[in-house]
Amino acid sequence: MSKQKNNPKKAPTPNVREARPEGKEGVVQRRALLLPVIPLFFLAVWLWSAVYFGHVFRICREYSFWVKNPSEMQFVLSRSFGSLWYVGRMLLQLFRYPWLGGLLMAFLLSMGSWLMGYAMRLRPRWRWIQYAPALAYMAVLTYHGLDIFFEAETGRILGIPFLTVLVLSIWAVIIRSFSRKPAPAIVGIPRDESPWQNRVQILVLAVGMMCVVGYNEWRRAEVRVVCRLMDAQYEQDWETIQRVARDNADMSNRPMAAYYAMALVHTDQVATRVYDIRLDYDTLHIHGMDWHSNNASAMYIPEGSYHAGLLQTSYHQCMEQMVMTGPTVRLLQLMTKCALMRSEWELARKYLRVLRDVPFEGSFCQRYGAMLNKPDLVNADAEMAKIRLTEPIHDSFENQYQQPTFMGYNLALVEGRSMNALYNSLAVCLYTKVMPDFMARLNPIRGTTPPDNFADGILLCRNKQEGIEKGFTGLNLREPRLQAYMKTIQPYLKDRPRYARELFPRFKGYYPYYYFFGNLKATRKSQTGSNRSSSSGVN
Amino acid sequence: MHTYIMKKHIIVRSIIALGILLGIIRLALIFAGKPDAAIPAKYETVDNLAALYPDYTDVTIPPNIAPLNFQVCDSDATAFVCRMEGQGQELTVGARADGIIRVDTIAWRALLQQSKGHDITVSIYAKKPAGWVMFKPYHLYVAQEDIDPYLSYRLIEPGYELYRQLGLYQRNLTNFTEKPIYENNREYEDGHNHCINCHNYRNYSTEDMVFHVRSNHGGTIVIHNDRATKVQIKDSTIITAGVYPAWHPKQRLVAFSTNKTGQTFHIYHPEKIEVMDEASDLLLYDPDKNQVSHILRSKALLETFPNWSPDGNWLYFTQADIRRNVDLSEPDSTLGMRLVFDYDNVRYDLWRIPFNQQDRSFGQPEKVVDAVKDGKSITLPRVSPDGRYVLYTLGDYGQFHIWHKSSDLWVKDLERDSCYALQQANSTDVDSYHIWSSNGRWIVFSSRRMDGNYSRPFIAYFDEHGQARKAFCLPQEDPEQNLLLLKSYNVPELTRDAVRVSPRELRRCIYDTEGERAEYLPGHEVRNPAMADAVSGATPDATSGASPQRPR
Repeated sequence: MSKQKNNPKKAPTPNVREARPEGKEGVVQRRALLLPVIPLFFLAVWLWSAVYFGHVFRICREYSFWVKNPSEMQFVLSRSFGSLWYVGRMLLQLFRYPWLGGLLMAFLLSMGSWLMGYAMRLRPRWRWIQYAPALAYMAVLTYHGLDIFFEAETGRILGIPFLTVLVLSIWAVIIRSFSRKPAPAIVGIPRDESPWQNRVQILVLAVGMMCVVGYNEWRRAEVRVVCRLMDAQYEQDWETIQRVARDNADMSNRPMAAYYAMALVHTDQVATRVYDIRLDYDTLHIHGMDWHSNNASAMYIPEGSYHAGLLQTSYHQCMEQMVMTGPTVRLLQLMTKCALMRSEWELARKYLRVLRDVPFEGSFCQRYGAMLNKPDLVNADAEMAKIRLTEPIHDSFENQYQQPTFMGYNLALVEGRSMNALYNSLAVCLYTKVMPDFMARLNPIRGTTPPDNFADGILLCRNKQEGIEKGFTGLNLREPRLQAYMKTIQPYLKDRPRYARELFPRFKGYYPYYYFFGNLKATRKSQTGSNRSSSSGVN
Repeated sequence: MHTYIMKKHIIVRSIIALGILLGIIRLALIFAGKPDAAIPAKYETVDNLAALYPDYTDVTIPPNIAPLNFQVCDSDATAFVCRMEGQGQELTVGARADGIIRVDTIAWRALLQQSKGHDITVSIYAKKPAGWVMFKPYHLYVAQEDIDPYLSYRLIEPGYELYRQLGLYQRNLTNFTEKPIYENNREYEDGHNHCINCHNYRNYSTEDMVFHVRSNHGGTIVIHNDRATKVQIKDSTIITAGVYPAWHPKQRLVAFSTNKTGQTFHIYHPEKIEVMDEASDLLLYDPDKNQVSHILRSKALLETFPNWSPDGNWLYFTQADIRRNVDLSEPDSTLGMRLVFDYDNVRYDLWRIPFNQQDRSFGQPEKVVDAVKDGKSITLPRVSPDGRYVLYTLGDYGQFHIWHKSSDLWVKDLERDSCYALQQANSTDVDSYHIWSSNGRWIVFSSRRMDGNYSRPFIAYFDEHGQARKAFCLPQEDPEQNLLLLKSYNVPELTRDAVRVSPRELRRCIYDTEGERAEYLPGHEVRNPAMADAVSGATPDATSGASPQRPR
């Protein structure tokens, strides 16, 4: 017995353990020190994938597409490892509810780890190694950030763990069939481990998880925020978008700004709250399918156009993305809404029919299916009614405008359908700092007290056009702040890029700050940045 | 040891048992899955037709067509039965609540062969909550004449700028087999991304075929039997490579249009896209000598969509005079943009030019249909195999009628010198890109009538009086495929035989060869009389069009 105790290489059998000489007290003490590592790992992965990264994986699902019908999935199945990506995409559907998808992810990673230990016949002292592949996989997902779904094969996210578990399971069955090696505990206390062996595993897991989360917070902090915003946008939860964006006001990237602007449009705050977040646009770690860096414009441009009332343009941009990546739930949903708003009932019916076969899309199909052939219901929808107010009145061509179109169109707008259209146009003029165009559009709101950003813009324009402020009320209330601001910023004007970030907390939400210090990297070049000239043409 | 052997036995037995169980389940599913196809003993008759997808009511069909599977759209019903009767033959098919009627191919063929030249009566019964009802029956008219058994097309997302995965496919119309001719970019690689353009066959045979590859690995692919060759037709005097091809019916010659094409996207218009040429000419390419020459070439006239008459003595094409739209003395760099601003006033007439097959020379072009005078525009002339009719697409403006809702199929009867629309075949949406069958009795065209966006091939009978009957959608094994497929059928072409070249050979040709540059033969272009017919009143310099140095 003592030989066995001193030799940890040999796994003790349950009978041997029961006959251990330490006595009852010793056994109780030792049991108290051992922790069930696999269940703990399961819990940790579940918390990570369902709670911490839940929105990210949910967006991964939105950027994916899976139906049972193989002919509809030909774009996946015909590629290398297509069957695996097909299975991976199927499993990813569970992330419609992150807690559910998280359970699957946790199961696959913890089961994979356990099987790895068993299949590799790891001794208890080396058992911490079995968690390394799972932790490495989580680290890889974290490292890639938005790239795990943006123009990427989303079937990999769960397809790779699935294949790993499958292979290891077969391997384990073979081992189990031809050897009498006992399996280590999967749920209960691992009795074959010494306390320090158990602690090493816990330590490895804790450090691994901390590294994964820490790296994400350090280098990929925008991933969770952007996905949270996208998720809220799908839910039409404009309040959450604003809250999350303002909570992360110091973080700056184009998708975040775009979703924030959409929320402001829907809550009639586009003239007052745009500058509550920093608009300098840090570089994002994101690449397209050509693996060139880009600014993720494809993530927000279709939605941006849709919420700006440019339904045809939004549909066009969805189609371009669908050409490149294949269908996604997100694109099909947006195309359905565009088709409904343009009374293209048969087209909407087609997309709804496709979506009907996608798991968990029943509620979307039910909600929007009810609108088919019923323009009254379309116009009664809160989101659509708001968008309708900014639809163009006249036809024109997209290439007449600067890109992205929803900005260029509003910059050139001369005739709008509503005051909302005018406000959007004025807001875009201020954002792009094209003050002559801003001034040219002020006449319809003369005689009113303009919203804060417009009032500040008017005051800033006084030097460019004398008397521009005439006919507006309430400007005098903004005047002292502007004078104080101009006085304060004088020392900083010499090197604006250097001081922009420093001054942001002091002048958050104040348009004159943005006018002098915001978005300095912007050039006259296209903001989309996506260069696909090699793959574009008349088809 | 004993335990070890026991374990092995248990595993082997378990695997065998599992296999048997799965087999039983599969068999049960197969047999339990067949819907009941018995005509109900008791039913009520209703006076309306069942709503079918696709609409196959009262259409004329070829006797060799694949089964017209369809879906009965009735959400109240829980089961359906369809009975088809013709010339003593009868066929009964059942469907579940999804309403999908799948006809057995062998029974269908027997029914069609028996019913050649006669009607088939189709009765549909639906099981409603209140009991069975029978909808008003409809008819399928089975023509005497077969359709060419192979239809090739390009499958591509409808329109738009970017391209990634697309392919040329060939469908056997007598069944549901679809085979790829060539598919690009299954795996995306930026350096290999390329587009495949219009394809064309000589005399409905796959002996000679041509299509163009654009962007990476670009070139014109000329196929003779099972061998493919890449050539580079582009020359400093040619606008771009060959775009719309037309094989000469008697000689190994291809007429191409070469087009400088651009597209713009409407922001608020039912027609989403406007595709326009700012320059186009006609070329003649000899694949045997790898020589290319201009047929017609001018800056003021846009000549495009060539098509030979069956005797090979005429080349039909469409032509627009853009001096009506823009001042050509202004810089060329802005020409495209200036044309875009007047996009709905660019119109094309139908022209033809005689061809001497002995010395391969062209005569003087002559106008066949003056559409411009009626404020219309013609594209895609296709001459019938008997040479009597020219089938074309007529729309309000422009040349890319596949995005114009006003586009309809029209014919010019060359014998009677009359033009008329094919009313029964046309729809309120886009009807364009048509092809005759080799016997001249069928036309296949692409139409966006189903949803306004995704084009589907439609087949219509063209009778001896020069009228087309109601068109029907290409039948699919799963009728919902037309709804679920997120790609358009583009450039349908009929052939008598299957394509002989393999996708592997095409891939080899496209990826591994650069393509020999075609020899350009200068001075062959014809002086176009339309150049002197200037609407602006200014007589253009007739020689300017021939200058190889003229900047584009």
